[in-house]
Amino acid sequence: MVTVSLKDDNIIAHTSVGKSLREVARKSGASMEFGCRVGDCSTCIAKVLKGKELLSPINDKELLVLAAVGTEDDSLRLMCQCSVEAEEGEIEISYFF
Amino acid sequence: MSALAAQVSDSVHFIGAFDPKIRTFDIIMKTANGSSYNSYIVRGSEGVAIMDTVKKEFSAEFFVRLESLCNYEEIKYIVLHHLEPDHSGALEELMKRSPQAKLIISGRAVMMLKGIIKADIPFETANTGKQISLGDKTIEFLSTPFLHWPDTMSSYLHEEKILFSGDVFGSHYYDERLFDDEVGDFSYAFKYYYEHIMRPFKQYVLQALNLYNRFEIKTIAPLHGPILRTNPQYYLDKYEEWSSEEKFRKNTFGKKMLSVFYMSSYDNTHKMAEVIMEGADTIEGIVASMYDLASLDEKNMIDLLEESDAIIVGSPTINGDAVKPAWDLLSCMAFLESQGKIGAAFGSYGWTGEAPEMLHDRMRWLKFRLPIKPIKIKLIPTEEELDECFAFGKEVAEITMGKMVEMEI
Repeated sequence: MVTVSLKDDNIIAHTSVGKSLREVARKSGASMEFGCRVGDCSTCIAKVLKGKELLSPINDKELLVLAAVGTEDDSLRLMCQCSVEAEEGEIEISYFF
Repeated sequence: MSALAAQVSDSVHFIGAFDPKIRTFDIIMKTANGSSYNSYIVRGSEGVAIMDTVKKEFSAEFFVRLESLCNYEEIKYIVLHHLEPDHSGALEELMKRSPQAKLIISGRAVMMLKGIIKADIPFETANTGKQISLGDKTIEFLSTPFLHWPDTMSSYLHEEKILFSGDVFGSHYYDERLFDDEVGDFSYAFKYYYEHIMRPFKQYVLQALNLYNRFEIKTIAPLHGPILRTNPQYYLDKYEEWSSEEKFRKNTFGKKMLSVFYMSSYDNTHKMAEVIMEGADTIEGIVASMYDLASLDEKNMIDLLEESDAIIVGSPTINGDAVKPAWDLLSCMAFLESQGKIGAAFGSYGWTGEAPEMLHDRMRWLKFRLPIKPIKIKLIPTEEELDECFAFGKEVAEITMGKMVEMEI
């Protein structure tokens, strides 16, 4: 099991490999904002405070969008593009940063 | 229409367009005084910058004013502070006429640009601190997102201390005299615009004010309505005051506010509401209140929703639906920011009992935090069921105060 803490929403979600963070957010009732949901709009940018190595590698769409908003912080990800890739561990995410 | 391009300062002119007949803007706003789509030209020793365009159907008016002041070959930059169609409507045509001009937009506007102009056009992005030069004139950009679109930015003309604020400080108020000291009384329009456009984004307003405060501002040039040159600080202060009111009220109470809104047909949902509120009120740091939706008008609803950290909505189920006042309450969230607020739903029912789940689902789309499932009770609640309501209110209050909720997904 992987633990995903959405600290801004007081949510600790126990989930498994392959789950997308969008699904975790939606099913847990988190307030994380999503726009286009396909990695174009930048609405769902969030900061991975812990466990970024447990997520799918950053993809080209994310690189394009993060460059466009002018950030070089490599802990920022688009939540609609990430999924859990590890069997165990702890991930901590904040979307107010 | 007066074809004159009004002078704002030594190097800045208004070249926007007037829309005196518009009566409803963006579906949600009444515009009893009409409006204007403000655009400006800045002339420097080494070229010209065009600050925003106008709504497409007003392009002719915009180009007449622009041509009275410059040739298309002189345009070095086109700046779009915000890509909504009422400001980007003449962009494509302007870029055809001035192919050498560099388009400057915010990073967040990149994907919107592709959605608005269905062609690849060259652009540069700007973030806080980026500057462009027109020779003896320097324009600095400020990232002011979500005011009121994600892409919004502002800019500052250093030499003449002019803030190009985008939609911030706008008013839907048509008056060709243009300047705040010459037009009629637009105070109603200024506040109405804030209430309907900026109010959901108060935290971003306060962030933008922090950026604006770095500069000495002599004139505010917004994208709608009068240009503010008499006492710009007055308008900055008004935005600060309106955006801080909620914070001020919370500080006064020093506690988190939990509001239970309900409608009841046979007193059953009312009984649930009372006990839910009692449960919530047992938690240290919470002030719980309850409101009968039958007696709340829209203004009260908006104010109460805004100051509540947690909102619990109760409705009976009538013909498979929640009652209209419950939907009316949630529709007021269009004027507010819901991110971060906790929501929950409940209700008594006779036959099918869909209302609590429907309200819960609606709150999910409104981006409430919904950590616990709705509670519904068939007809008259028993003592055991009222105990569940008490625990439900207590749980929502605990989560509001920071308790973590664990779940498996």
